[in-house]
Amino acid sequence: MADLAIRNLVKRYDRTEVLHGISLDVEDGEFVVFVGPSGCGKSTTLRLIAGLEDATSGEILIGGRVVNNLEPKDRDIAMVFQNYAIYPHMTVRKNIGFGLRTSKMSTADKEARIDEVAGILGMTDLLSRKPSQLSGGQRQRVAIGRAMVRDPAVFLFDEPLSNLDAQLRTQMRLEIKKLHQRVGNTIIFVTHDQVEAMTMADRIVIMKDGHIQQVGTPAEVYHKPANTFVARFIGAPSMNMLSGTVANGALRLGSGEVLELGLEADDGHPVTVGVRPEDLHPGAGPALVRGPVTVREPLGHETLIYVGAEGQEVIAKADGRTPPEVGEEVTLTAALDTLHIFDAATGDALR
Amino acid sequence: MYRNLTIRQKQIVWAWAFLAIPILFYSIIRFYPTGNAILISFQEWNLLGDRTWTGFDNYQKLFADPVFWKVFKNTFVYLLLGTPISLVVSFVIAYHLDKTRFMHGFLRMLYFLPFMTSAVAMAWVWRWFYQPVPVGLFNNALASMGIPQFPFLQSTTWALPSVLAPAIWAGLGFQVIIFMAGLRAIPRSYYEAARIDGVSSWTVLWEITLPLLKPTIVFIVVFSSIGFLRIFDHVFNMTTNNPGGPLNSTKPLVLMIYETAFSAFDMGYAAAQTVVLFLVLLVVSLIQLRLLRDS
Repeated sequence: MADLAIRNLVKRYDRTEVLHGISLDVEDGEFVVFVGPSGCGKSTTLRLIAGLEDATSGEILIGGRVVNNLEPKDRDIAMVFQNYAIYPHMTVRKNIGFGLRTSKMSTADKEARIDEVAGILGMTDLLSRKPSQLSGGQRQRVAIGRAMVRDPAVFLFDEPLSNLDAQLRTQMRLEIKKLHQRVGNTIIFVTHDQVEAMTMADRIVIMKDGHIQQVGTPAEVYHKPANTFVARFIGAPSMNMLSGTVANGALRLGSGEVLELGLEADDGHPVTVGVRPEDLHPGAGPALVRGPVTVREPLGHETLIYVGAEGQEVIAKADGRTPPEVGEEVTLTAALDTLHIFDAATGDALR
Repeated sequence: MYRNLTIRQKQIVWAWAFLAIPILFYSIIRFYPTGNAILISFQEWNLLGDRTWTGFDNYQKLFADPVFWKVFKNTFVYLLLGTPISLVVSFVIAYHLDKTRFMHGFLRMLYFLPFMTSAVAMAWVWRWFYQPVPVGLFNNALASMGIPQFPFLQSTTWALPSVLAPAIWAGLGFQVIIFMAGLRAIPRSYYEAARIDGVSSWTVLWEITLPLLKPTIVFIVVFSSIGFLRIFDHVFNMTTNNPGGPLNSTKPLVLMIYETAFSAFDMGYAAAQTVVLFLVLLVVSLIQLRLLRDS
């Protein structure tokens, strides 16, 4: 059993509360990604789980055991840092072996374990090198190796890919995911990049201002965002937000169009209608937006068009071969079941 | 003509224009006197009369002089005691001061204060500390506890350490600041990773902090070694009645040079001593750099 649970976790620095009582259950072997803008408390949560900082109140359980008062080394965790934290004066072998310093294994067993981990990460040839002789991706792998060598119950990753270039990041993303499928330990991964979150996670935890906004599988948070923040944060380009009001269970849009959606809200209640750019396209059907095309972004297989309407710009998808011209008046439509309706005041999803 | 030059040639012209000032300065103020000192070391000269060429006479006299060997040994005692002690003490202070949040700035200022103080004033204050009863601070304290007096500056054994102590203290502030800058430069995540790995703080100190501080340590070792090999003002001011005494037991090379040149007016002999000091400084610095830089 190596499940992880957080109960009403609060962290306060002097008078500033940065985590406001978050709770979460992570199953054994699950890959959970914490994502959110900077300052949302995701890294703080990770550091609390690691034991690098003390929780103000609340409980952290690893494998059913409350670990709040345990030193990091006694929590059965390992952590990979953003700057890798591999020691420049030690060889790769010593760096990986550093995690075994306190273990009671025999020297031969330790060496065998280091070799095994190096084998899994494909770094057997690099063991005698110093970090300065390695590329960014290789250093990253050393850091992962050092965490792996102790076979912890939970791996903690603190934005480990943000120092890599785009291509390497994609590659390491895949490698970490494969590694997880192979070793099967529980992973908590912190990132500010929603693409990383979507591609790697079993479940995503979206945070903002010290609160959890939504916990769900990538499909859930994408297709059923709990509020406007999640809706905007997940997906690129970001979801279009239109304003409307409820009238007799129907939705009245700024464009004048009335959509029969069977909403359960008071008449005149202001709502925000979210529609993803890939669902919004020029054509016949309920006219959600009408306006002139201001910019075109050809992507080959499709073209993104920016349409000015109601004092804002919405992004829609048009055909890759015959997109509308700039300046052309277009009417944008979308299937009704792709619309997300949020309460305009609270931002929470109504449907 | 200047206009027709390429950008690179113009840059070179400007570089030389700016470099000309320090080059001129160093040639006149540093290199010319250095060369002249080496020349004088082969001559006899009393500062007023003619210079006469004497070959290696000055060096032969020097190596046959028991006082020189005593002084040579003293100089190395200053170096071999001063450098390691000041290195360890300043590291221990910096290591703990770095972790202290309480009155951090004030404490750092206190440690730095001696470095800003005039060596002469400091030497005289310490000289007062070391006086016998009823004047000296230390001996009064000892006497009030019923402990016999300690002959700090009167003993041929203890005079050198007694002179060295304030010299170490004077340089400590600077070394503490340099060490703290070195400690700050080590990323925090190195320590956090070690904490997660659960290694002892002793291991962290020896295997992470000290190896990563190596460039800082090299700098401080070389810098303070040069300082101790050139020690003069502390000795001179604490033993003015009998400079370098008692019985030459505190006399460093620089003080011997000073006396030979400006009390005995034997410029050739003083120059020969200077050349020896120069070679000692050169060799010690090169050895330290070689030993500490790589490996």
